[in-house]
Amino acid sequence: MPKRTVSLDVTNLENFVYDMSRCIKCKGCTWVDHIYMPGIKFSTRCPSATRYLFDSYGAYGKMRIGLALAEGRIQYNDNLLHILYACTLCGACDVGCKRNLDLEIELTLEALRVKAVKDGMAPLPQHRRVVQNIMAQHNSLGASPEKRRNWLPQEIEPSQKAEVLYFAGCSASYRNPEIAQATVKILDVAGVPFTLLEEEWCCGNILYSIGMIDEARKIAQRNIEEVRRKGAGILLTSCAECYRMWKVDYPKMLNIATADLGFKVLHLTEYVDELINKGLLKLTKPLSLRVTYHDACSLSRLSEPWIPWQGERGLWGVTSPPIPRRRGTNGVYEEPRRILQSIPGIEFVEMIRKRENAFCCGAGRGVKEAFPDFAAWAAEERLKEFKEVGAEVLVVACPWCKNNFSEVIKAKGEKIKVLDISEIIADSIATEVRGGK
Amino acid sequence: MAFPKEVYSILEDIVGREYISADPVICEGYRAGPAGYECGLGYERVMTRVPGCVVMPRTTEEVQKIVKVCNRYKIPYVPYSTGFYGARSHPHVENALLIDLKRMNDLEIDEKHLYAVVGPGVIYSQLQEEAMKRGMYTVIGGGGSQCSAIANMIGDGWSPLSHRIGLPHRRILGAELVLPDGELLRLGSLALQDDPFWGEGIGPDLRGLLRGYTGHRGFLGIVTKMAIKLLPFQPEKLEPTGVSPNTALMLPEKRVKWINFTMPSFESIKRAMYEIAKAEIGAAVTRVPLFWRIIARAGSKEEFWELWSKENEETVNAFFVLRVLLIGFTSEKQLEYEERVLMDIVKELGGEPRRTRPTDESWFKNADSAGMWLMCGGYVSVDYVIETIEHATAQCKNFAELKRSYTPPLMPDYADPGWFQCFELGHQGYSEFLIYWDPDEDTTRVDHFYLETAKENIRKRFYTALLGSHQPLYLTGPAYGPNYHKWLLKIKKEFDPNFVCHPPFPLSHDFFVEQAEWMKPLKDWGSPNLNEILPKEIAALMKTSSQSKEK
Repeated sequence: MPKRTVSLDVTNLENFVYDMSRCIKCKGCTWVDHIYMPGIKFSTRCPSATRYLFDSYGAYGKMRIGLALAEGRIQYNDNLLHILYACTLCGACDVGCKRNLDLEIELTLEALRVKAVKDGMAPLPQHRRVVQNIMAQHNSLGASPEKRRNWLPQEIEPSQKAEVLYFAGCSASYRNPEIAQATVKILDVAGVPFTLLEEEWCCGNILYSIGMIDEARKIAQRNIEEVRRKGAGILLTSCAECYRMWKVDYPKMLNIATADLGFKVLHLTEYVDELINKGLLKLTKPLSLRVTYHDACSLSRLSEPWIPWQGERGLWGVTSPPIPRRRGTNGVYEEPRRILQSIPGIEFVEMIRKRENAFCCGAGRGVKEAFPDFAAWAAEERLKEFKEVGAEVLVVACPWCKNNFSEVIKAKGEKIKVLDISEIIADSIATEVRGGK
Repeated sequence: MAFPKEVYSILEDIVGREYISADPVICEGYRAGPAGYECGLGYERVMTRVPGCVVMPRTTEEVQKIVKVCNRYKIPYVPYSTGFYGARSHPHVENALLIDLKRMNDLEIDEKHLYAVVGPGVIYSQLQEEAMKRGMYTVIGGGGSQCSAIANMIGDGWSPLSHRIGLPHRRILGAELVLPDGELLRLGSLALQDDPFWGEGIGPDLRGLLRGYTGHRGFLGIVTKMAIKLLPFQPEKLEPTGVSPNTALMLPEKRVKWINFTMPSFESIKRAMYEIAKAEIGAAVTRVPLFWRIIARAGSKEEFWELWSKENEETVNAFFVLRVLLIGFTSEKQLEYEERVLMDIVKELGGEPRRTRPTDESWFKNADSAGMWLMCGGYVSVDYVIETIEHATAQCKNFAELKRSYTPPLMPDYADPGWFQCFELGHQGYSEFLIYWDPDEDTTRVDHFYLETAKENIRKRFYTALLGSHQPLYLTGPAYGPNYHKWLLKIKKEFDPNFVCHPPFPLSHDFFVEQAEWMKPLKDWGSPNLNEILPKEIAALMKTSSQSKEK
């Protein structure tokens, strides 16, 4: 078989025909890593396959359906679009597959959505409003751009220019101001000057997630240019979804490496961990709480830096140069745990499915907008696990997770407290806000 | 030809709207290939079909009703638990009903009497964890942790741990089998009451119906419940460590220990197996091929090939590693004693212990059979033998020689005889012959090799475990029977008069050879008279299926 030139470009499904044609139905994408298998309960990590049960909803089904689509053997229908989009692209399948087979499942799923858009089958009607919001108002919620900075506390004034640029994101700007406020409080107390974009735009998460890559790419270019213009060395986010966009999806769309962005992308948990290590931040105020932590997919297993790749695939499927594989091994797992465990009084307990085996909250990548019932179901599944470990507070590191859990808790009349990790950190700071630049 | 609406409607009433679909996209998700066990070969391409409808029952009663409907309307059906067994666990005729059993995932453990009762949707790692939480364990068969425990117990079901714990059919206790016509057969003590603690009888032991030797691939009914004997384990926890893909169980070294030994020769490995068995020590005793060592060392497919390309016939055939698992089931002293005995045996045979990690990656909880596909993309075990140690090792060496002339397209492995081990404290030897290929290459010769191994067994009088559903029945039946094929078909006819349960098994490989032009030069055995064997509806379906495939 002659060598074939391939790349990791998601705009061309042909790049992933190999991956689609090598799935062996081991279902490592669905089950928790068998080494960590907790028993008969909480044994899966793929929300779609667990909720909809048909094999067609697991990555093994999606790979077969994707291949049939690529080869023109099946036609789009409602079920096909449901299978493609009732999926949070949470990456559980990707790291599961790379436990043994190293197939590029996540990228294949993204490429299938890009193809659906190209073929005129998407965006789905449920996504159109969000798309319009982002295109017209530069935020996913359709809120007024003028009000984007309303979250900023009066006593804290950002710098015009600083090493750290805080990108609040749509959720923390409008729906979860408590997260943005806690974040800047932490920076202020640690004496870290920070700046904001003059005009912050949505990161484009939903656009990229649903396959509208051309539109998402334009936003990526604009946002990156804005940060470079500001001269910041660190792009700081408190939203896991924004984090993955900046760190992984922007470079992917622009065919550059994360290292070539010209600035570092850090999530608040990484930065706070660093501040604590340097002695610049002390979490001394005791919080008498039994807490557990939910790994946000985009901060954990999917957060490894992007490295563009193009090469050849030859006999035995060997690639040359070898594909730089992102297997989720080096995700941000330890930093949030170290932070929580360093707070006096906190009793930290792990969920049953954790780190790369965590079960997605169900909100991400266009699911909550299009399939709110599925998003609610996934959150409820995760909350069952929360109850099993007997914690008082569910700590998250992403506003999407926070909102999805909170809505389900409210709807069910539960008495579970969900806090973003920024809030916990801010609460554990004994020092008052400085208010300085 | 669409799945009949009337039948769909009845099935929908049985399971509910949410658990049935005849949508072509949903059904496409159940395609066997192009990759997987035995997939990417001619058999998968010629014989498998996308189902016409998928149904997901929750209870035995629902399964019975579904099967009765299939019999009434002559709808071929295939039981399916995880689909991992590749081509042969998928439909072979157009418009078949695939009965996906994943919702039947109940698990109960009787701690006092040491057994678990599971449904076909329960996989091995779930069962193992639940057993270990209670101080017991089971064998996760080489098929892998992701296999349905029932499907693997009635198919293969062994691993290196079978040295101590025994072969799977000995651990099948009471079971429920929905016969091909929908009647419920309760086996063992379930025949008399609801406690499945006992497996044999009542009267003739019908457990042979469940699996024969290595399984019928579901053509003699659907096992909806099985009690599986569990064995007492040692009390220390095997602690999971690491982040994917490098996860492993940390072993409590005073209780559980793998030790690898470098041995001076192939013969000395065999000798060690006999001596270890005679001393009645060890929980697993297996030969490690160099190939596996390289897989374990390589961080990726590319690295594997870089490392493997440095090996040659000399290094492969000078690699003699024996791997032994010791478990102090009763005490630390048991392990200490067994280790001393083991060291004496190995020393006498000129072996040396190697440094061995205090972890288990592959056999207690994570039998990662999926890794077998990483290197080449195509994999199948063309044969396995459970006979004496002598017999098993002679057979695998013989196959290694035969393989030379089929390499390429088979992966170059320099005539490595592969994996062998001892079972049941040396009373049996086991060898499994694995082959690998690139599915993008011409696989004709791989198909030929698969069939040649069956012929070689007959020529050289080797025993094989792959009778019945894995090779042409009219080739192996007369040779091993002499009436094995006739008996099997009579049993099939008795229990499945409509031949609707996974047709055309057990004649699927015969059909394949008839339909694949490139297989015909190898055909030098008799053919079944299908007009006599198959009911006319099924014969017509087979004809339609082969015509649609040709298109």
